[in-house]
Order: sequence, then C-alpha cells, then structure tokens
Amino acid sequence: MNASQDLSRVSFIVMREMRRPLMAVLIVYSVAISGMIFIPGPELDGEIQYLSIFHAFYFMTYTATTTGFGEIPFEYSNAQRLWAIICLYISVVTWFYALGSIIRLFQNTFFLRAVEEWRFSKKVNGVTGPFYIVCGFGDTGSVLVRGMNESGLRAIVIDQSEERIQALKLRNYKLAVPGLCANASIPKHLVEAGVESKHCKAVVCITSSEEINFKISSMVRLLNPKAGIITMSKVDDYEESLVTLGGEVHIVDPFKTFARVLNACINNPAFYALNNWLVGDKGASLDKYIHPPVGGWIICGYGRMGLEANRVLAKNGIKTAVIDPHSRRKDEEIDTYIVGHANEKTLNHAGIQEAVGILAADADDGHNLGALLNARRMNPDLFTIVRQNNHENEKVYTAAKADMVMQPTLVTARKILLILIAPLLKPFFRYLLQREPGRAVILKELLILLRDKIGNKKPLLVTIDFTAEKSSAVIDCLKQGEEVLLRHVIADPRNRDVELDLVPFVIKSQGEEIVLPPKDYKILEGDQFLFCGTLSAKHLLKSSINSEYTLYYLRTGSYMPMGYFMQWYKKRQTKKG
Amino acid sequence: MNFEKVIFGFFIVLSLTLNMGFFLGEYNNPAHHSVYELFMVVVVNLVATGLKLGDRSQIGALLLATSLVADFELIAAALHWTYAVHIIGTGMTPDVMANVVALAGGALVANIISVIIFVSETLMSRL
Repeated sequence: MNASQDLSRVSFIVMREMRRPLMAVLIVYSVAISGMIFIPGPELDGEIQYLSIFHAFYFMTYTATTTGFGEIPFEYSNAQRLWAIICLYISVVTWFYALGSIIRLFQNTFFLRAVEEWRFSKKVNGVTGPFYIVCGFGDTGSVLVRGMNESGLRAIVIDQSEERIQALKLRNYKLAVPGLCANASIPKHLVEAGVESKHCKAVVCITSSEEINFKISSMVRLLNPKAGIITMSKVDDYEESLVTLGGEVHIVDPFKTFARVLNACINNPAFYALNNWLVGDKGASLDKYIHPPVGGWIICGYGRMGLEANRVLAKNGIKTAVIDPHSRRKDEEIDTYIVGHANEKTLNHAGIQEAVGILAADADDGHNLGALLNARRMNPDLFTIVRQNNHENEKVYTAAKADMVMQPTLVTARKILLILIAPLLKPFFRYLLQREPGRAVILKELLILLRDKIGNKKPLLVTIDFTAEKSSAVIDCLKQGEEVLLRHVIADPRNRDVELDLVPFVIKSQGEEIVLPPKDYKILEGDQFLFCGTLSAKHLLKSSINSEYTLYYLRTGSYMPMGYFMQWYKKRQTKKG
Repeated sequence: MNFEKVIFGFFIVLSLTLNMGFFLGEYNNPAHHSVYELFMVVVVNLVATGLKLGDRSQIGALLLATSLVADFELIAAALHWTYAVHIIGTGMTPDVMANVVALAGGALVANIISVIIFVSETLMSRL
C-alpha cells in the first residue's frame, strides 16, 4: 500500500513537471509537420511532389534533435527549404527546453527523495521473515546491526544523517540491510520502514536524542501494539514514562548496566567473568577473574556514569573522592568533593597515595586519558576503570591498558543484541545473582561445564523455538504422542552416546522459566530454549530437530526405515515377533 | 550398523559395477557386450530404485532422482536392442550396438553420481 502511494506521488510529480514542455514539443511538432505536408515540393516527372505525414515526421525527428540526415526522400523545393529553416530553429530550442526540464526534474531533491522512499519501502515490503527496525546508526547502531547480521536477524535502518546511510550501503553485510535517510520520529517514515507489518518484531530506538527516542517509542506503541520496543535512555524521567507505554518495552541504560556489572565484579567475580565471556569481550576468559580492590576510590568526572558508579561503591562500603569541574549537587552524599579537573593538585587532595582505584568517567576521552596517566604516575598500583566515549579512540585505549574499559556505545549495543538473540538470558542471570544458598556452587559448576564443553572456542547463545516452523521433526513426534527429551535433542547425531557441545541454560515453557533444566526434561510444543554452545553444535542441533530420521535415531538408538520396502519388512518382523 | 544401508548400498554398488561391466569393451562390437549383463543391470537398478521409494529426506530425493535417470536410460537401451533384433530384424549391427552402449554409458554416469552421494552422506553422518 505504501509503495503504491509513493509511486503515485512520484508519477504525479513527473506528470506535473513535464506537462508544459510536452505541450510545447507537441505544438511545435504539429505545426512544423503540417507545414512540411502542405508546402509543395519539387516537380518530378511533371508532377508536384508533396511530403507524406510519415516522411514529414521523420524529417522533424532528425531536425529537432539536430541529427540532420539531409533532404529525404527527395531534394526539397526552395519553399520547403524556407519552412525547414524556420522549423529548425524553433524545434531545436523547444526540444532542448523539454530535455532540460527532464534533467531538472531528475535533479530535484524532492523528486529524488520521493524515489528513494519508494525504493526503500519496496525493499522493506520484500522482506518476508521477521525483521527489526533500528532507528539511529551511530557507533551503537553499527555495532548492533553487525551483530544482528552475524546472528541472522534482519535489520532495517533509519538515520537522519545522509553520510551514515551512505556508509551503511557500503558495508559487506550477509543479509541486505535497507537504510533510509529520514527523521525516524516522523510516523510516515516508520510506516515506510514497515512498523505496521506483522513481521516487525521490535523497534530499537538508539538515536542520540532522548526526546526523539521517547517519541519514536510512543509512536511505535500506537502504530503496532504487538511490536517490542527497545530504547536507549540515560535519563530517569524518560525511563519512567517508557515503562508505562505498555506491551513489551526494554529500556537499556548503559550506565545502569555498567553499575550492575561493576557490582557483580566486586561481589561475584565468577559471574562477571561469565558475563564478559558470553558477550565476547576482548581478552575475556572464564579463568580470568578481575577483583576491584576494596579501599579508597577516586572518581574523575561526576556525570551519569560517575553517579551510578559512586552509588555502587557506596553500597559496597567503599569510600570515594570525586573530582569534577562542576560544583557539587547538594543531595549527594560524598566524602570528598573537589571542584576542578584531574591534575596533580586535585589528585593529591583526593588522596591519590592511599587510594586503591581510580574511575575516569568523564564524557571527554581526552580528560579521561589525562586523568589516567596523571594518576598512574603518582600511584602505579592503582586499579583503573576508564570510560571510552568515542569508538575512534580504540587504539589509544588499548595502549592505555586499563583494567576495565567502559564504552557506553558498546555496552548498549551488546545489551540490545542479547535482548534480541537471547531473551531468556535475563531470567538466567537473575537466577544466578539471587542471594540464595547454593548459587555460588551452581555458578562454579556451570563455569567448569562451560570450560569443558566450549573452552577456547567462541561461545554462541542459541535460542531455539519448538514450533512447527523451526523444528518440524520434534513437533511431528509430539503430535504422534511420542516423548522427546532434552537429552535427545542435544545428543550428537553421529553418535547418540556423546553430547553436543551445548549447555542448556533456560527453558521457557508455558510462561514458566526453568533454569538449568534436567536432561530428561520433556519438550512441549511452544517451548523456547536457550543454549550456550559452539557454531558447529548449533548447526547439528538445528538439523536434528528438523530431520525425522535423525531424531528417531537420537530417541531410540535404532534407525527408522526409510523406504517403503524396509517399512513393510519391519512391520512384518514385528508382527511375527 | 544400519541394516537398510547395507541392503541399499549392496544394490546400488552392484548396479554400478554391472553397468561398468556391460559398458567395457569396443563400443560397436556386439561380441564384447552381453545381453544377459544388460538384463541384470536393468533388474538390479530397478530394485535399487524401489528401495529408495518412501524416503522423505533430501538426500533420499536426490538418490531417487539419479536412480530414475539410470533406469530410464537402461530401459531405453534394452528397448532399442529388442527393436533392432526382434521387430525390424536388422540384427545386431555395429550401429545398433554403438547406440545401446552409448545409452548404457549415460546410465553409468548416473550410477556413479548415486554412489558418490550415498558414500558421502554415510561418511558425513558417520552413523
């Protein structure tokens, strides 16, 4: 519907713009042709020759376009030549006028936009499977779209910047990613991106403006009540309003996420190691635990990140000193608050010699690196956490070798990606972090299992839906009243006594979540599973839940007769037996 | 061990080897090509096709298709032979022999493809 609407708009613009030049060409041609027909030609064989309509039109065609083939089909009379002179000048000018109008139309920005939008919505309509709309293609957006592409999720991008959309078109994505340069907070553009389609699973709002993110979120809720909304927000006010939109809404706040990670890092290093390993952090390993020391901490830059970090540190009974160029906000409880930038004087004042850690959390990378270098020089044993604001500064931050680097764009992109590819990870983490007896042991055993199964390979989160589309063989089995157990599907199709390199994390079955399910769990239709495993294990799992022969072998250990002959033979055998 | 694979493997390899046996020799010399061997190839090939009926897997479909191609060409060869010798009575001239062997050669290629698919599928699943 949208495509045809846009198409009619485009054709309307073409027709309106071309009306006048076309009329002009038409009039000049018809007058010129009539003249050529009626003016007597030369006398041949005693008869006066006239041009036919066809020949007159032919003559005008090559004259108006300045081709000039000469006098066809006979030498003209002088009267005809006089008329030809007049025709030539007028028709050539008219012709160029018409041509110029067409060219001007093709250069008209409004026309180009209309064509661009029409092409975009045609591409979106061509997407047959589920897709996700990503509003905003900055650092976060490009990391997110890359990750979605690798996991086989289809993304559609809207961004206001022409440059970014051009950059998007030049990337080598496995799945095509249509991009539109437009303001996503205008409903028309969201509709063009397919927000109303039943295939639109979620809209991700990660533009740089809080207000626009909020606006997009509310419009999406109105346009498609079923679509999920994932919004980046760093301000509490918006977060509260977002929650009340209703439906599936996820709010991603990079600083809150960081605070949770920092808290986990202090209290539960094993969980922190698992988290980092799962998101694929550089150099993360299940064996590498990071322990931020307990003692005095210095926070340089007291923005949103400093605030959240300070809260976490205070909650864990750690004393903090804050250095910030802005004056102190009254309602905060901070032991030492120094107004200024991080330099030798302020750092000394903050007690750098006795401190155990520094957190450079300024919104400016230069200040952060400066604070880091200054502090290191004065106290080389400091534990360092530094915020990286700009992706382009990657090299410098690698060279800085901080203990932890917090990059808000990366944190946001990873968090959103996990929400999209592994929605069950959240309840899983919640379970692991609950303060209940035995959880630490469970976590430790889980880490041993993961190390054993996946080791140094890249961990992959695999979400499997047991529906007729995604796992036909399992559903067929269930419909016939047969049981399919969890241990059947994760057995190796090459030898069912061996398990694939897959660790089941969570099962969501009829609204309930079963964390670390037992191996003899009976699969039900509509279940959603979250596994962690390797790429090859994922492929084998997907093939065995879709092939009835493999599944039969995994379930029973014997082979299902494939041909009619064998089926008949087996039936006879069982009858006899 | 999968018993069905043993049976199917036996017939498919037998049909390939018999086909090869018939094909070998001077292509237009009737003394080099036995009519009984052609008869055996046709029968064994039909059995191999029959065994694949009913398989719903992708590989099964591919094996059935190649098997059907071999059947089609071998039956055409047998019909050509019968027509020349018994119906129009030209007898087994080198011309007719060449045609029959050419058709059997085509079936041979189809049989080779069948065996390659069968072996690679088995190796891949390592059952």
